Amino acid sequence: MRRLIIVLVGVVFIAAGLRAAETAPAKVPAPRSAWVMHFDGDWRVVGGLPEKILLVSLQGLANRGTAQLYVVHPKDFQWEITEPLFEFYQRKHGVVFTEVKTAEGALTLFAKHAKGYVIWEPAVPATMNVAFTIAGLDDAVVVTADQVAQVESHGLKKIDDLRGRYTGQTDAQIYRDAVTRYWARCARDAIMLMGGHAGAVRMPAMADWGIRQKMFFHDLSANPKHPEEVALGKELFAQLDPLGTVFGWHSYAKDTEEQHTTLLSTFGLRMEGLHNLPNLSFNCQFTFTPGFKFTNNHGVALDAKLTAEKKVYLAFVQSDSIGIGVWTKPGRGKLPFGWQVTMNWTKFSPAALEYFHESATKNDTFIGGLSGPGYLYPNHIPADKFGPLMAEARKLMAVLDEHVLEIMDNSAADGNVGNADLTKETVDRYYAAFPDVIGFINGYGPARTRDLRDSRAMISYDYYVDPRRPRDEVAADLNELIAINAKRPYFLLVHVRESNDVNSLVEITKQLDGPVEIVPVDVFLKLAASNQTYTTRYQDPEDPKHFKGF
Amino acid sequence: MTALPLAAWAANPALAGRWRLDTKRSSALDGWTAWDLVVALDGTRVDLRHDMQWRSTKLTATNTADTARPTNVKDFFRVEQRHMALYQVRGAETPVKAEWLDGERTLRVEAVVPVETSQATVPMRIYQELRLIEGDRELVVIELHSTRSKPLVYRFTKVTGEK
Repeated sequence: MRRLIIVLVGVVFIAAGLRAAETAPAKVPAPRSAWVMHFDGDWRVVGGLPEKILLVSLQGLANRGTAQLYVVHPKDFQWEITEPLFEFYQRKHGVVFTEVKTAEGALTLFAKHAKGYVIWEPAVPATMNVAFTIAGLDDAVVVTADQVAQVESHGLKKIDDLRGRYTGQTDAQIYRDAVTRYWARCARDAIMLMGGHAGAVRMPAMADWGIRQKMFFHDLSANPKHPEEVALGKELFAQLDPLGTVFGWHSYAKDTEEQHTTLLSTFGLRMEGLHNLPNLSFNCQFTFTPGFKFTNNHGVALDAKLTAEKKVYLAFVQSDSIGIGVWTKPGRGKLPFGWQVTMNWTKFSPAALEYFHESATKNDTFIGGLSGPGYLYPNHIPADKFGPLMAEARKLMAVLDEHVLEIMDNSAADGNVGNADLTKETVDRYYAAFPDVIGFINGYGPARTRDLRDSRAMISYDYYVDPRRPRDEVAADLNELIAINAKRPYFLLVHVRESNDVNSLVEITKQLDGPVEIVPVDVFLKLAASNQTYTTRYQDPEDPKHFKGF
Repeated sequence: MTALPLAAWAANPALAGRWRLDTKRSSALDGWTAWDLVVALDGTRVDLRHDMQWRSTKLTATNTADTARPTNVKDFFRVEQRHMALYQVRGAETPVKAEWLDGERTLRVEAVVPVETSQATVPMRIYQELRLIEGDRELVVIELHSTRSKPLVYRFTKVTGEK
């Protein structure tokens, strides 16, 4: 029943999005009240973490019924969107926020949504995740021993105490026990991979969402060096609903993004991160505003035909999820830019997408990603799961008025270098699944998967702008690519890492040699379809692979 | 038998050994975090071994040149800018020439490296000079590409006690 409700809620969100795509008279939403807390940046285990854990667990419970508590993070927090979105809720949804200044104040307001508390043990880090699981299932707030008196003063009773239960046990043992105790009651359409920062600093800002949705929390490793953890992780993934979602992020202390994304992809699942993405329990309860319609800034119509001239065409794309990085940095709008939208936010965070749309300049074009309806590595998606996943992606792209799909498979890569190519089989599947797109782009770091079928080009990044690379060297790199790719037209696709800023790219473009035109990514792909001066290439089985998979 | 120029034989033993890149005083590496250049001399033969590191990933590759004659090097290793889509052509041979200059204080290496680009496989001419700095504790490697207008300048410091 619980799963049915979740499915229905999802359907409502999608339906709301579809309705938003239709023309409807604009309405001023009725005022509604909510509360806001401003977090500081102290996530140290021996500092601000325990209080934040208490608060995000309380947030997850308080936001179960209605959207009541929102958190604004400092400007240097990875998700820079929290403050602009706070303002957006007030302006576009008529939310009247009252600030809650302290944890005590939050407990006074929201303790009634909890049935009790569960105690985690900072010396045994995995107990944080076990406690989050219990919090979701039994409506508990999560505390350390030092916070017990505080929550008891608000009438909360002890539900569980994890101190001592797992002392000396491995994470595999701890999570195995947690599976025995709690897994049967947890959601099966999603699971919370609460990894990310590990050690002295942890950042479980997404816990509110997992608690609200009664997810199982863990940070099991996908590193083959930890076979017991990998085995348990596989058991859990195998029991998730088809096309389920892995929320959160891999543990920085145990494995790599490539390993974990590869693992979940082999089960036909998709990732939605990061572990510190805040406020989903609040955001999920808003739809698009009445009358809102996504109208992307298309540089070219779907059925248009363009002809490339004998010059260099360059397109910039940022793909590290639109909520972090370049969007809020200086200079946006000065260059045509493609922005990869995490299309699942249509379901989980529609207001955020509307905010981005509203603040887009005519030079900002949204593209779908990443690889599908969520982050996944398509080379590893089982054949029977690929079609249903991409059918969902097509629907979401239609809602978002997106004509370009970005693909990324770093399963064989080494961070942002190495093998990021697609097999021919994977390329075949994308061409079959997306007959109506303008084209595809591939990679994160540079890659060499390229194709052209009918009017749809697939182009990989020829360059990745490392934010730490001196700008004069970036210009020299781009000029070298322009020189060595001597045929014209040359199609130079550039991936801009999220922590770059557009102003610095403007300066780089002034240093480029030859006849260079910077174009929107959709125009770029149309032009690339008009004259294939690039090779057709797929992942070669003999190409080096940093991680060979499971 | 053709007489070899004297310079071909006059290897400078000071160049031999392990040299570690001084990243702060060098052109920025891209996609590599550390680079040791290990030089071995054997008559006219010069082995230039590259011990590379990217985060936790380590790679070793050796280019062998000969100051007495041109050679072909299979899978010539280029300290590439790894965020550019320029790739080694697996199994390809690279013609390499080397020569001692400046009273054996400089080793010049010239290579024509096949590189896979997004358009084709094309030759990149690489010109390197390995210049010993006075005192023989520092080495400067200057690298020019036929396709790059900006030289790459790498400064190394001699490492003792490691092979």
